[in-house]
Amino acid sequence: MTLLARLRSRRPMAPAQSKEDYYTASQGQLVWQRFKSNRTARAALYILLFFIFCGIFAPVLSPYDPTAAGRNADYTNGAPQIPQFCDDNGCSWRPFIHGVERYRGADTNFRWVTRQTEDRNYLTFLPAGSDYRLLGLIPMNRHIFGVEDGFIHVFGTDAQGKDIFSRTLHAIGVSIAVGSAGVMISFVLALIIGGVAGYFGGWVDTALQALMDTVKTVPTIPLFMAVAAFIPDTWSAEQRFFFISLVLGLLGWGTLARRIRTHVLAERSADYVLAAQMAGAGPGHVIRRHLLPSFTSYIIVDLVISFPYMVLAETSLSFIGLGLNDPVNSLGVMLQNVTRVDVMLNYHWYFIPVPIFVAIVLAFVFVGDGLRDAADPYAEKR
Amino acid sequence: MAAFARFVAIRFAAAMATMLLVSLIVFTLMELVPGNCAERYIAYKATQGYVVTDADIRAEEIRMGLDRPYLVRWLDWISGVFFRFQLGESCLWRVDVGQLIGDKLLISLALSGGALILTYLVSVPVGVASAALRGGWLDGSLRILSYLGLALPNFLLALAIMLVSTVWFGDTLTGLFSEEFRDAPWSWARFLDFLSNAWLPIVILGWSAMAIQIQTVRALMSDEQGKLYVTAARARGLSGWRLLMRYPARHALGPVVNSVGFDLNRIFNDLPIVAAVLILTEAGSMLLEALARSNDQQLAGAIILSMTITIVVLNFLTDVLLAIIDPRVRKGFFK
Repeated sequence: MTLLARLRSRRPMAPAQSKEDYYTASQGQLVWQRFKSNRTARAALYILLFFIFCGIFAPVLSPYDPTAAGRNADYTNGAPQIPQFCDDNGCSWRPFIHGVERYRGADTNFRWVTRQTEDRNYLTFLPAGSDYRLLGLIPMNRHIFGVEDGFIHVFGTDAQGKDIFSRTLHAIGVSIAVGSAGVMISFVLALIIGGVAGYFGGWVDTALQALMDTVKTVPTIPLFMAVAAFIPDTWSAEQRFFFISLVLGLLGWGTLARRIRTHVLAERSADYVLAAQMAGAGPGHVIRRHLLPSFTSYIIVDLVISFPYMVLAETSLSFIGLGLNDPVNSLGVMLQNVTRVDVMLNYHWYFIPVPIFVAIVLAFVFVGDGLRDAADPYAEKR
Repeated sequence: MAAFARFVAIRFAAAMATMLLVSLIVFTLMELVPGNCAERYIAYKATQGYVVTDADIRAEEIRMGLDRPYLVRWLDWISGVFFRFQLGESCLWRVDVGQLIGDKLLISLALSGGALILTYLVSVPVGVASAALRGGWLDGSLRILSYLGLALPNFLLALAIMLVSTVWFGDTLTGLFSEEFRDAPWSWARFLDFLSNAWLPIVILGWSAMAIQIQTVRALMSDEQGKLYVTAARARGLSGWRLLMRYPARHALGPVVNSVGFDLNRIFNDLPIVAAVLILTEAGSMLLEALARSNDQQLAGAIILSMTITIVVLNFLTDVLLAIIDPRVRKGFFK
């Protein structure tokens, strides 16, 4: 045996102490142990936590206000400005970007163009900027980075001069918030409908099953579209936000309800349920206190798995103009205008948020898969 | 035989019940839109300079039959759909919806059908191969691809392809017909032109269904491969593709046939948005138009209903087909 192989084999050796731990561990501890040993899922979890952090602290991390209030009118459709340490005039320890100026002259056919100047614009740490409330409570005006003079746009700007980097960070937060709200609403509905169907069985179950099947037959996005079309134009951005979350939740409970029904159906004839019933517990008490805890881990897994679908549905709806709208940022809102040919040809930085969102959804999918494997007691190899 | 006929009859009744329930849901949704057709027609007339009173609106409502109770109107609508093949009258265009969407609905069905066929042509062999070569580099890259199928929705893929083709080829690859065929009547040349433009929407529409179906086929085949009957067949000297196709693939077939309806659902899901990105003139983009801009609830309801009917019919057909091709089910019916 080589040294390397011996070193490797030492790690999983289980002393008597850990065997004892294994048999007395709670379900949560077991699931977490199994999840940790899945390297892909663990990496995805860290990436996901990073993005959630970005979403929550978006106002601090983004240099400017993502709405029209924070726009840079002198740098519309501007290219990304990457901070650099060196230029033709030598290097510096502080990163800087070049300044820009609006210029018009004979050489540009008297059209306004934006061009770079030679002067350096140094990056600053924690400059004072636009006011915001951290976590909706603490009033602040410091941002994590900025430049000494004017603006810096790491991801470029859009047609109105809004900073795409700031918009992306806020969009991450909005998408995760819409997804969470939608998942929560559909979870409550699924719990009630699936729980009732599974617990009572008989014709109640048959009728609710028929309803679930029917709702599942209708293509979801067209149905979302039909419901989202009710939103009057006069609604504010916040009202639209809540309505869209509500719609996503109201139409997304089908799969989850079916899973809960199956679990309840499988467990309801168990002895401990019978014991509870004989002790005089009502249906609500039995479902809540006895049946639910027996499959909590599965429900959490299903919630994580259904999350990316909510985020993608919101993105699709906003993209076609039936979801969220301008003052609120989400990936769909940011992509609303990119199908124009001039954007496709000239302003490629409009597409920077796309890979970021693909990464978020992938992270959710991998975490969900890892959790599902970890929560399945039969998947374990001892 | 009698048992089979009963099975078909029960499945048919269930499909009918589903359709009725769906039509009730769609009809209710369309009813909930504020303002009815008569009010909007009269409002339009008012913008044209007519003087309009409340009595005019009531008269128009009676003419359109909008004063009848909700359930009666639903029955009227649904019986029109099933017995007279009339989907109602468009609120905006004031013509029969069938006339308005007939051609476009056919294009949608052709695109979706093409995407569905492509999905199965690709995912079944690739899924089988991926399961057979489990753990190899091919399997690994296919798994990453199918995760991408979930994380990169079809319309984002369409955007990415458009971006690449605009930058490198200077062509956005949008639309279904070339300039000269756009409004021409159907002919052989127009059909060929349609085919030459339709491959991209078909590939994009099939993208996520394909990715998910590959995963499904792979999982089913992986479960079957380790079983004893496969080992026995191998011991008798069968190997390679022949072995896979004759034994485990046939066992894995059932769930795959059953999921055709879900895949069509998935494709219809993406149709309106992909159509909006690629500027396709078909029913999906018309649905978007009806909902987002012209607010034509009759048209939107008719399109959603026809999509759902297609799925229900397909589900019914695959159920019957499965009963015929699966020997375990067939034995029960034809002794």
